[in-house]
Amino acid sequence: MDVILQFCINGLMLGMMYALVAVGFTLFFGVLDVIVFSHGDTVMIGAFAGLSMHWWLELFHPGLAMGWRLLWVLVAAIVAVVVVGVIVARFMIMPLRKAPALNTLLATMMLGTVLRESVRLFFPDGSNPKPFPHLLPDWAWQHGNLTLRFDNVILFLSGALVIVLVYLLINKTRLGMAIRAVAQDEEAAQLMGVNFTMIVLATFALGSAVAAVAGVMNGIYYNEINFGVGLLLGAIGFSASVIGGLGNVYGAIAGGFIFAFLQTLGAVALPFSSAFKDVFAFGVVIIIMALRPTGLIAEPSSQRV
Amino acid sequence: MFKPLQIEHLYLAYGSAFVLHDVNMEIPPNRITCLLGANGAGKSSLIRAVMGLTAPRKGSISFDGMDITHLAPHKVVARGISCIPEGRRIFPKMSVHENLLMGAYQERSKAKIAQRLEKVYELFPRLAERRNQLAGTMSGGEQAMVSIGRGLMPDPRLIVIDEPSLGLSPALVNDNFRIICDICETGTAVFLVEQNVRQTLAISSYGYVLSQGRVTARGTAEELKKDPQVEKAYFG
Repeated sequence: MDVILQFCINGLMLGMMYALVAVGFTLFFGVLDVIVFSHGDTVMIGAFAGLSMHWWLELFHPGLAMGWRLLWVLVAAIVAVVVVGVIVARFMIMPLRKAPALNTLLATMMLGTVLRESVRLFFPDGSNPKPFPHLLPDWAWQHGNLTLRFDNVILFLSGALVIVLVYLLINKTRLGMAIRAVAQDEEAAQLMGVNFTMIVLATFALGSAVAAVAGVMNGIYYNEINFGVGLLLGAIGFSASVIGGLGNVYGAIAGGFIFAFLQTLGAVALPFSSAFKDVFAFGVVIIIMALRPTGLIAEPSSQRV
Repeated sequence: MFKPLQIEHLYLAYGSAFVLHDVNMEIPPNRITCLLGANGAGKSSLIRAVMGLTAPRKGSISFDGMDITHLAPHKVVARGISCIPEGRRIFPKMSVHENLLMGAYQERSKAKIAQRLEKVYELFPRLAERRNQLAGTMSGGEQAMVSIGRGLMPDPRLIVIDEPSLGLSPALVNDNFRIICDICETGTAVFLVEQNVRQTLAISSYGYVLSQGRVTARGTAEELKKDPQVEKAYFG
């Protein structure tokens, strides 16, 4: 029983990270109808930017309290990823709008490789995994075999807070209304006076900021980051957003948790080694896509976000 | 009083296919000016050029004395031109209320927005009843109301209305024409694009006939009613 609960807790943690990555995929698809495959690698950029900030703080402000340190690491990650995301949107994805969607897909896949290789080659000793600082208290609550780590609770609640903020921004603000309008009918939105370019860039900034939080969460959760971490996170985030019906924010969040559930199921409940958990999870995603091509939460493509 | 919308020597092409040839028009304030023409005559392309959705090849468009030829749509809207697009193009997953708010997207004053909302709800009591309904779940006639109401929300100086009666029952078409007259009476210039010749000419003061991308006839509504070119534009 305790073991199952433990796996549930871990699954929820993973699900939250995947959901945050998937939200980006689904937002970008909503406003521009493109799949930005480099999104996973921007998550990795966020983790490395956070790590760089941590190193800088160690050098120049060694006495800084842990909370402040975490805040600065988060700020560095968000700023770096938002800058990368907005530059990519403005100078790569928007110019490719008139080209077939496949071109954007290929271009962003290549961009992902460029980002990965850049970190590997130019970050100090970038090809080796880096220990990520533990920026949260080590307290844990022990009950038999069940360990509930305080830092995990904080990470989970922070992720939930980010999702609530995204919800409020999309549904309760003028900017969010414009994002939804662009997603539903780009030209009609323009005719209402929406500055299309600005809204696209704002959407990329939003998706990227959320991804940066996921990057730092990922680093703290595993205590380690490496240049390739975005590849799998990207594939998972993309799968999660497809399961949820691309373009649907809530679907993407649900998709993230579904994927994490499948991984956890693959690791505990099935008769083969837990090393096969990703094979199992992606296999189920393929089956879901075959049975429900528009995602589990299916909607007509005209009604996104 | 502002100066009219002026279209001068406008050429527009998609690739190498020209759809507008040397179009000259003037849409004065306080009037309904109509644009008649069969399907494929270039009416919608002209609207797209005015609103900044498609860049013309040559020529110029000015409004209130300022050149708007190459402005992005949101800047055209900021000049005081509003558009009720063909096919209504409401936001299906937004409530009626939000659709109307989108219409006043560039207005920052909450008091003005509230005032205009009230006006629109007065004009269309049905929308007031259904303000929280998702616009995509409404009937065609109700969606037309949302689209017209949304077009009025910016309190425009010029309103471009593209095929408002498309797909509506005759009773609703009559309602629409009555509302268009009301809009004009409040001082807004109306540029009405329609296929419904008789009813359109009945409320317009001036009109243009577009045929294969060229203006083949122009004149007051009375003149156009007698002009054989009008019939020719539709029946070849």
